[in-house]
Amino acid sequence: MNPTNLLEAGVAIYVALAVALSVWIGIFVYLWRIDAHARNLRHELDRQQRREQAQSATPNVTITRVHSPERGTVDS
Amino acid sequence: MAYASMRREATTDPQSVGRMAKVPVGLERLKPMLQRIAQLGKLLIGIWLAGVAVSMFLIVPQYEGLGNAGRIVIMHVPTAWVSVIAFAASAILSGLYLWRRQPVYDDYALAAAENGFLFTALATITGMIFSQVVWGVYWNWDPRQTSIFVLLLIYAALFALRSAIDDLQRRRQLSAVYSLFAFVTVPFLVFVAPRLADSTLHPNCAFIQGSQCDGLTLEVGKIGLLGDRKVQLLGLERENDLVTATVRVSEPGLSGEHTLYPSYNLATKEMISRPEFPGLRYQLGLERVDLNGSSALLNIEAPGTGVLENRVTLFTFLASLGGFTALFFWMLHVRATLLGVAGALMQREAGHP
Repeated sequence: MNPTNLLEAGVAIYVALAVALSVWIGIFVYLWRIDAHARNLRHELDRQQRREQAQSATPNVTITRVHSPERGTVDS
Repeated sequence: MAYASMRREATTDPQSVGRMAKVPVGLERLKPMLQRIAQLGKLLIGIWLAGVAVSMFLIVPQYEGLGNAGRIVIMHVPTAWVSVIAFAASAILSGLYLWRRQPVYDDYALAAAENGFLFTALATITGMIFSQVVWGVYWNWDPRQTSIFVLLLIYAALFALRSAIDDLQRRRQLSAVYSLFAFVTVPFLVFVAPRLADSTLHPNCAFIQGSQCDGLTLEVGKIGLLGDRKVQLLGLERENDLVTATVRVSEPGLSGEHTLYPSYNLATKEMISRPEFPGLRYQLGLERVDLNGSSALLNIEAPGTGVLENRVTLFTFLASLGGFTALFFWMLHVRATLLGVAGALMQREAGHP
């Protein structure tokens, strides 16, 4: 097909529509993918944040037994 | 550089810590269902706007005098409208940030301003294509073009301001205040300034029902401006009920002159002959004649006047308006989420070196 035929009056409007739809589909797919990635990142961050908060809320005490000749055995 | 800036932001932002974990328990239960509805809505936006494109090119009838080029109005006006919504949203969210000091409002305000800028640029580009078809030039410094250019500069300055301030709190506060002041100019630059000027070729009265272009009343021998054309009423000749005006029209920059003869029927009070401005698809109309005062009301007649009276065109236009508005809110949410995620990641990185 001759490329100049694409610019003829009867055909040009379909070519313009095809171009506009292609651009829109491209933008839509791009936006959809970015949206999905952003949502996943946010969920992952929320999950990690909750896990860290849960960990910091658990009591964390280390008991060590120290032998002292003067005071005997002391738990700290 | 942007990375370093974000890192600085994160290290000095105590408010962003834990902001993403605060989800009400009731909402948490509804979350899967809401997410499914949101996904369906996004899919609908895609199909909806594709349908608008098909209707715009294949279903909407051609505009009288403009041919296929007039179809761009279906996209041009909604993008301009969405830019106003976006700038308004940016101002409201900036106000909310100043009131509540929650960084999430700043993220959304910035995202709205960015989207507003993008949609304004789209409206400008589609307008330039229209301008090329109708006026023969992409850029004419028409009052509408000039005001939209000033608006773009005002919001470009907001982004420059944000990138110029290192301190995060100060950056957010100043840009919120700037955004509020910037929005004050929006109604003036978008709605008022182009209508204040007599010399605009932008078809305000063609596409907005109920609005009127006032035109220009000239006495014989006097000179005035219609659009960017200098016009001089040279004479009025009456033949029975028909009055014919002799009007000299000068090209922009006075590069050339032409004489046009619009006419008017005194009995039916209708315009009869409406000659086209040389090189343009706009016509010169003789809207009223006062033979006693030797004066006439001359006006620009835009092709496509009353275009929205066609139901198919009106519905496609409204569908486009709705589709672009929904698209804006989706883009706003995505961009603000990305800004929030970037801020939280930097915060974590700063907290755990």
